[in-house]
Amino acid sequence: MTERHLRGALATTAGMSRQEAIDFLIERAAAPRRHGKPERCDVTLAGGNPGCGDVVTVYLTVDRDADAVAAASFTGEGCTISQAAASVLLEAVQGAPLSEIEGMDAADLMDALGRDVVKSRPRCATLALSTLKGAVKQYRNLRLREEAGQPMCQPRPAEPAPRTSQDSSRDPRRPG
Amino acid sequence: MVKYKNPELLVDTEWVASHLADPAVRIVESDEDVLLYDAGHIQGAVKVDWHADLNDPRIRDYVDAWGFAELMSRLGIGNDTTVVFYGDKSNWWACYAYWVFRLFGHENLRVMNGGRKKWIDEKRPLVRDVPHHEPVRYSVRTRHPEIRAFRDDVMAHLGGPDPRQAEVRLPAGRALVDVRSPGEYNGELLHMADYPQEGALRGGHIPGAVSIPWSKAVAEDGTFRPAAEIKALYDGQGITPDKDVIVYCRIGERSSLTWFVLQELMGYPKVRNYDGSWTEWGNVVGLPIDNPALEKARQAESHAKARPTTGAM
Repeated sequence: MTERHLRGALATTAGMSRQEAIDFLIERAAAPRRHGKPERCDVTLAGGNPGCGDVVTVYLTVDRDADAVAAASFTGEGCTISQAAASVLLEAVQGAPLSEIEGMDAADLMDALGRDVVKSRPRCATLALSTLKGAVKQYRNLRLREEAGQPMCQPRPAEPAPRTSQDSSRDPRRPG
Repeated sequence: MVKYKNPELLVDTEWVASHLADPAVRIVESDEDVLLYDAGHIQGAVKVDWHADLNDPRIRDYVDAWGFAELMSRLGIGNDTTVVFYGDKSNWWACYAYWVFRLFGHENLRVMNGGRKKWIDEKRPLVRDVPHHEPVRYSVRTRHPEIRAFRDDVMAHLGGPDPRQAEVRLPAGRALVDVRSPGEYNGELLHMADYPQEGALRGGHIPGAVSIPWSKAVAEDGTFRPAAEIKALYDGQGITPDKDVIVYCRIGERSSLTWFVLQELMGYPKVRNYDGSWTEWGNVVGLPIDNPALEKARQAESHAKARPTTGAM
């Protein structure tokens, strides 16, 4: 069950028609929120399969005292659903306790995106969430290492392999 | 001069533009990005979503003949309709849908060269109207199972080797093409620890396969490369028309494009798409695998152990 902070923060397509929900996702994919690579962060984690599909890289900075997200953003390439979902999710998690992210239910994210629109692509819709959860987990492991007196070094960030031009061909999101 | 064996299977954007109202033609968009059609499509085009329309929801297989006939009927495609596919990613998923349609025996199939990208680059119009077509009668007639390979077919293709034997060589007259990226072929990509959505428990490739990424057959503008370039690409790695060829990737979608290039365009007589591909082969217990990355790591470890150590006696 997704906790109150996140559930309230998730932009939702509830009440929209199918076409309105599609337009919402297209807009979010074309102009994503919380997009970009920060100068520094606690964890960088890439998710997906760049060989044939979507990639989302999450950048996470944690407020240690509050055990909550201080800042989170993403970069990525891929289908409309995967990129829009990343935008919707990363918008919602600013300031969220890490425990809420760990407990977040993928079903709530699917509902926010418009289940009828994204149901045929659940892996795309939940790629950013699984990547973000992985980033939180990696942060937890780093803190354990620190508490054990081991160096606080993040494993080499797994930046996705460069995509060819055929892989990354981007279409305009609006009719010409 | 080297030419495509079947050039008529490719139509260009001008041909499509002049046949938008042709009742004997149905334009079909099939994309990897499932919302692209909704963002705008060629006028009169219908959408075929590979996941929702062509796949059985319960078992890993395509819909049955009744399901395919029902889909065709709903799209207003008759047995004699010429179906023209186009899509994103250099027609990668369009070729996948083409291959499935051929599997079910639909004869009149084409691909719009350059796909969605070329249409847009040429500033041709896109619309959002979803056309309605009156349902038509459709019956699945002569299917083409010979264009599909299953896991046991691939094992037979390899000569039925023991999975633990050190080296597996393909029997003469047979060829295997891995169309994934070099990183996947070499076993590197699936071993990167930070990809939460991996598809297989083991990395590497099917023994005997040569690596020819699918994208090498298409140009920057999304069109298929000329016949002479395609011939040089595949001949150079021993993938010649006299061989019994199987192609594969991760789930069979990239390899469908390679199948289209080899069998449909270049006229190779025997090419099969192994659509189980790496998500099957890399997860099944007891199948032979070549993993160059693992082998390299083992050799490095072995050399490190063999290096003489120095220290106080």
